[in-house]
Amino acid sequence: MICHWYEAPSYLFFTSDLPALLYYSHFPAMVVALTVGLFVFLNARNLLLNRLLFAIALCFSGWTVINLIAWTNIESGFILFTWTFFAALQALISVLSIYFVAVFVTKKDISHTFKLGLLALVAPVLLLAGTDLNIAGFNLDYCDAFDYEGVAFLTYYSFLGVVAMFWIAYLLIKHYNTADKALRKQILLMGVGIESFLFLFFAMVYIGSIAAIADFYESSQLEFYGLFGMTIFMTMMGILIVQFKTFNIGAHASQALVVALLILVASQFTYVTTTTGIILTSITLVLTAVSGLIIVRSVNKEIQQRQEIQNLAERLKKANKRLRELDQMKSEFVSIASHQLRSPLTSIRGYASMLLEGTYGKLSQKATEAINRISESSQYMAASVEDYLNVSRIEAGNMKYEMMDFNLKDEASHVTDDKRQEATKKGLLISFKSDLDLHGIVNADIGKTRQILHNLINNALKYTPRGTITVFAHDDKKAKQMHVDIIDSGIGMKQDELEDIFDKFERAHNANQTNVTGTGLGLFVARKMARAMGGDVTAHSDGVGHGSTFRLTLPLQM
Amino acid sequence: MTSSGGSVFGYIKQHFFFITIMTLLLLLLGASYVRFIVLTDYLVTFEGECDPYTESCFEGCEDDECTEVYYYNLIERHATELYERCGSDVLECDEAFECQKDVNICNITFCDPEVDGEDVCIRLTEETS
Repeated sequence: MICHWYEAPSYLFFTSDLPALLYYSHFPAMVVALTVGLFVFLNARNLLLNRLLFAIALCFSGWTVINLIAWTNIESGFILFTWTFFAALQALISVLSIYFVAVFVTKKDISHTFKLGLLALVAPVLLLAGTDLNIAGFNLDYCDAFDYEGVAFLTYYSFLGVVAMFWIAYLLIKHYNTADKALRKQILLMGVGIESFLFLFFAMVYIGSIAAIADFYESSQLEFYGLFGMTIFMTMMGILIVQFKTFNIGAHASQALVVALLILVASQFTYVTTTTGIILTSITLVLTAVSGLIIVRSVNKEIQQRQEIQNLAERLKKANKRLRELDQMKSEFVSIASHQLRSPLTSIRGYASMLLEGTYGKLSQKATEAINRISESSQYMAASVEDYLNVSRIEAGNMKYEMMDFNLKDEASHVTDDKRQEATKKGLLISFKSDLDLHGIVNADIGKTRQILHNLINNALKYTPRGTITVFAHDDKKAKQMHVDIIDSGIGMKQDELEDIFDKFERAHNANQTNVTGTGLGLFVARKMARAMGGDVTAHSDGVGHGSTFRLTLPLQM
Repeated sequence: MTSSGGSVFGYIKQHFFFITIMTLLLLLLGASYVRFIVLTDYLVTFEGECDPYTESCFEGCEDDECTEVYYYNLIERHATELYERCGSDVLECDEAFECQKDVNICNITFCDPEVDGEDVCIRLTEETS
């Protein structure tokens, strides 16, 4: 049946005597939706989020096409055939919007239960859209089917739009509260875009349909305004694409998108003939050009920033490589230099010892004093060289540990005895105490352990001008650990220095008061060695002037 | 075969949402096409001729300014049967405006002042003309 009062369209959509806003509201919204949707899909078609946006754009464009058909065509069967899809596409737009936002906020696909829930909402519409519940007939005089639309069915699928709006608002608010600043901006943009679209689209289409059913035919044009919601939605998607890379689209692709949109808007001049249409299209073109310019500038700025960051990263990489090379060279130099120094030092110490022992005849008092100084200095120098060599080995990962079972209490006692003469010479009282529940056997490198104890006691001797040094061996049965505390009544330390003193070349801030020499490597080496053997060296002090306690901890052999 | 069958099942399981929707859409497309294009199974309403001197008629305007009026009633018929009698243009078919005895659905609605309003319905007498 044909609507005999109306003229047949040319090229499916084009006919005269139609509302001026018809083409202006339909074509740009459809073009923008399809352009953005297709663009996003083609750039990263494996992403679910992109597919869903494309699906929404397709449904919306399909709705726009059948709406144009309804406005311009005159064959009742064809119009009714397409009219059934108003319900189907509106219902699909609702559930796909929910699906889209759920994927957007969670960054993953929704659960099967969620999908079944969405299908349960949309399936009745798709199954019943072809029945009398949706549409039963056609008015040949008005050339539409409003008189035969089922109000209950219309209300149901329009209500799905309301469900979508509330569901989406819930999802966005829920994730907004836990999101960081950047994601919050994205959620806001998404919220404004999709909620504006759904509200304008569903509200205007529903009101327009109900008004037409109630014989207020002029009000059916309200649906034209509903289509502008899509432009708002796609504008927000454009910002998400450019600023936040939400759809994994590159900066150059974003520029291409802007250009494509400009071309598409400008292409409307080819079919717009009325003055109103030309004015409206011109305004749209100017607005698109301005927003496009802003987007392109933003993209260029970002490209520039990215380039700068890339250059900086490149320079940092080179500098880092150079530093590593220098560090390697330094370690090699220290190692070689130390080895070169050790041999002559051994000779110096040996000959000094032989001179003092009288191997080359009796020495005068003055010569003996001089040789003593040579001997002490060479001993100090040998210790320093040993420290440098140890640091070099530790940093190169070449330090070897020969683990064996031995009694730590006995070793601590022996080292204390070794140091007693030196302490007495300085006027210090050194003593050894122990309090053990178990045997005191540890599994470690005995030579390294002795070196650690030497370093710790040397440290105490250096920084204790007067008073006592106590070496206290005890165990912690529960923690299966053995401790040796070196407790001195020396210069002490501030709390914030307790960790720093274990760094390379670090000494306590008040170390200069004691007028002592040192490499600043003894504690560094001691801690590194202890940790390599499964233990640790820690420091404690009640403050400056209140002495210090250094503790060597090693695991007990159970 | 097993892996092939398994992967097809996996694909369907993974995409059951879109597969279901596409299936339902295709079903709707087919059903609507058959109903509205092939069978023309729907009702149509159009304006019939009405004599305001003998019947209660609706009043319509011939142009936008409503300088000239015409009177009509509303005829509702089934499209399938109407196609058989008149083809696609009812204006050129006198049979469209009369309810034949062998027709199942054919309603001619005149203006009812109680339903449509006193002002809407037109009933002319020799004096009012």
